[in-house]
Order: sequence, then C-alpha cells, then structure tokens
Amino acid sequence: MQFEITEGSAIKHPRYSGLLNAWTLSFVGALAAILYLVYSRPDPYWRILKFLPDGILVTFQVTTASIFFALLLGLLTGLGRVSGNRIVNVVASTYVEVVRGIPLLVQLFYVYYALGRYLQVPDMVAAVLAMSVCYGAYMGEIFRAGIQSIDKGQTEAARSLGFSKRQTMFLVILPQAWRTILPPVGNEFIMLLKDTSLVSILAVTDMLRRGREFASETFYYFETYTLIALIYLVITLLLSRGVAHMERRLSYD
Amino acid sequence: MSKRTILILLVAIVAIAGIYYFVNMDKKAEEVATTQDIVIASDATWPPMEMLDSNKQVVGFAPDLLQAIGKAAGFNPVIKNVAWDGIFAGLIAGKYDMVSSSVSITDERKETMLFSEPYFEVKQAVIVQKGSGIKSAADLTGKTVGAQIGTTGYFAAKALKGVTAKTYDEVGLAIEDLYSGRINAVSCDDPVAANYALLQPEYSDKLEIAFILPSEEKEYYGFAFPKNKKGEENVALVNKGLAKIKADGTYDAIVKKWFSAK
Repeated sequence: MQFEITEGSAIKHPRYSGLLNAWTLSFVGALAAILYLVYSRPDPYWRILKFLPDGILVTFQVTTASIFFALLLGLLTGLGRVSGNRIVNVVASTYVEVVRGIPLLVQLFYVYYALGRYLQVPDMVAAVLAMSVCYGAYMGEIFRAGIQSIDKGQTEAARSLGFSKRQTMFLVILPQAWRTILPPVGNEFIMLLKDTSLVSILAVTDMLRRGREFASETFYYFETYTLIALIYLVITLLLSRGVAHMERRLSYD
Repeated sequence: MSKRTILILLVAIVAIAGIYYFVNMDKKAEEVATTQDIVIASDATWPPMEMLDSNKQVVGFAPDLLQAIGKAAGFNPVIKNVAWDGIFAGLIAGKYDMVSSSVSITDERKETMLFSEPYFEVKQAVIVQKGSGIKSAADLTGKTVGAQIGTTGYFAAKALKGVTAKTYDEVGLAIEDLYSGRINAVSCDDPVAANYALLQPEYSDKLEIAFILPSEEKEYYGFAFPKNKKGEENVALVNKGLAKIKADGTYDAIVKKWFSAK
C-alpha cells in the first residue's frame, strides 16, 4: 500500500458513488422496511404511525431550537476560549469543563426537577435549555479548534492591513474556520437529534414518549420500537445527507 | 511506579472484580433456584401498595399480602423491583413469574395475561392544588391532567373530553409537577392519591383530592401471570392462598395495618 501525503482537502472522501453505497442502502432499506411493515400488517403498524406525528413534530421543534441556541453558545464559548481576556477565558473554559463532565440525562433532570423547585419553566423550555447548554459546550470546543486551525499569518496580514481585532475575527478568520468547523458541527446536529429522545424522560411528548404511550396501552412493544427506530434512522440519514451536501458546497475543489 | 506497573495493576483489579462478580452470580442463582420460589415483579413507586423503604426493600400492602399468601399456599415470594414501563413485556417474555404492581384487571389486559382473583377494589381519584376550584370532571375542560404511563389513571384521563392527558414514568413525578404548578391535576388510584395528598407532609398542605372519577364498572387489582402452563399453575396456587387468608382474617389484618387512620 502506498499512501500519498497531500493537503487536507485534496484527500478523496471515502465515498462510493452510485447506488451501492452505505447511505443509499440504509435509507432505501429503512424506507422500504417501514412501507412493507405498514402494508403487510396495517394493524398495529398503521395505527402506530398515526399515533406519532405530533410527537415527531415535538422532536423537530426541540432539535431545531436546541441547534440554534447551541450554535450561539458554541460560538460565544469558542471565542471566549481563544480570547486574550483572562476572565472571559476562564469563564468559557470552566463552562466547558463543568458541562462536559455531567451526563445529559442528569442535566435534563437537574433543569426540570431540581431547579423546578425554585424556577418554573415549561417542559419544552427545560428540554431546550438543557440540550443547548450541553451541546453548546461541545460546539464551543469545535469552534475553538476551528479558529485555532487558521494560520497565524492570516491574523498578522489582516492586522497589518488595518483591520481591527473584531474585524479580523469575523471577516477573515471565521469565514475560513467555518470549513473546518462545519463537518464536526454537522455530526453534533445528528447526535443532538438522537439525544432529543432523552427528553421523553421529562414527560415531553416527543416521538419516543408517544411510542411508549402506545406500547404500554396495546402491548405492541416489538412493533412500536421497531417502527420508532426506523423513523429515527430515516430522519438522521436525511440530516447527515444535508450536512454532507453543505460540506461539498464549502470544500475548495 | 512505571506506567506498565500501573497498567498491570489495573488489569488485575478488573480481572479480580470480574471473577468475584461471576462467582457471586452463581451463588445468587443457586439461592433463587429452589422449586418453591415464585419470582414477582413489582414497580415499587406506588405507595402505600408497594414502595421502597430506606433499606431498598420492597414494602407495602401488596408485599405483606404476598408473604401471607405464600405462607398459606406453600411458596416463597421473591419480589424484584422493575420499572412500570415494560413490566408486562417482561412478564410475557418470561423474565419473572408474575406481576404484583397494583395492576387493575381490564379486558384489554386479559387478552394478553392471566389474572388472579381480585385482591383490592380501587377507584380513580383526581388530585388538584388546594383552591384550584376544580370540583368535578367538567371543571377539567381545557386543563392538563398528568398520570403514570400505561395506567388506568391515564386511560381515564385520556377518555375525558377536552382534557390534555400527559404521561409520566412514575406517579411521583406527576405529583411533583402538580405541586410545582406545571399541570392542573393528577389522576391515579385512590389509595395512592390518599397517600400523597393526605399523608406526605410536604404535599398535603398544598394538594387535595378533588373528586373520584365516576366509572361504569368497579375496578379491582389482580396479580398478573403469563398465558402458559406455568402461569396457570401459579394462578391456581395464588388463588388458593388468597382464599385462605381472606377466610382466616389475615387479609383484614393487613388492610387494617395499611389503611386504618393513623
């Protein structure tokens, strides 16, 4: 085996084109499985499918809201981590250390039940808050790495051309860092979507809780969870496709 | 200590822990595998019917009853604490021999399980915050009612017109949300409602039982068994014991112990 060492973006993506790649197989397979199940045994599968839509909507709502706030928090944290200001730096770093050391499930319980004694937040707000705070810390690390991956020469050049510190960051560094940042952030989106299933613990009626309600009433445990797994798979595959598309749009070649 | 020594030590510790665990597992298995044991699943979050005491033992009305039934019918009840969501799936899959978890006998459940004779009559009570003005089912229109997932309390709440029913994994979490004002009411079995709304000091000054949901037919708790030969044998055994203790006054003594005014 000969390995050719090249610049980062020139390395070919290990993707097989054509119909026989993993993504297409999984996606078509999952869709076909759902259709087959619903067609072959409408009772219970069609009944389960009819029971889920509002739960799927809640899953989407929690996901999009959390992604938005997590990105915002992540950007702030990332900037804080590379900031020259001691205090800002320590605050951002402490936030990352603390949040990354506590399981998401515990954070969800904490926001909802522990703080709930003093601070009444609706269940959806609690869910979005906990998810954003948790993922904001992870995204902050990705932003920091992305910013630090840009060559120091860029900053020096921009500063000597008379850009202010802020202009340098937002007009020169971040637009370039975005390429490095996007793929791992895209993966975080997908992780976040999957982790929204944890919010069903807070009695948020997302897709998983709707499924559990159905199963506990009808005893169709196998059928319900099979369908739910397939639906999650379809959604995350679509999302990963979107992320891959954005990566290609941004790549140099 | 070099890195290598630390690594070897770590591996040794993990190995010893693993061996110890396996040896004990065998011991445990031997303890359980006597012929007269019936392994019972119980979701111990339903005071005073079944709950965990501070020593993590399952205690309550039903465990006492089972001990008495076991003595009368000649078997040894082994109670396992199992989460409610999925408790019937585990029964059908054969993970334990029976479920004693304040299971109401319903026609839907009879399709998939066998039931013993009823051992307790229950009603569905609605708990509200004091001063909420909710006095009847009609007052619940447009309100949110919490209940434990897969319970008759949830089915009853779902059947009410214009009511949003919200499910929780445990009834205690629903009560906590009612206490903090996130929902307007909780519907659950009346002995449980009485326990939370009247006996728990932190809840009783803020919560009250508003009314009992009217229902067409009486609701009873029964012990649930899988639909197979072993299940049928166990049903007969438990029914025999239950009839015995109802006849000799033991049953009444246990009721008195758990439900007389304190």
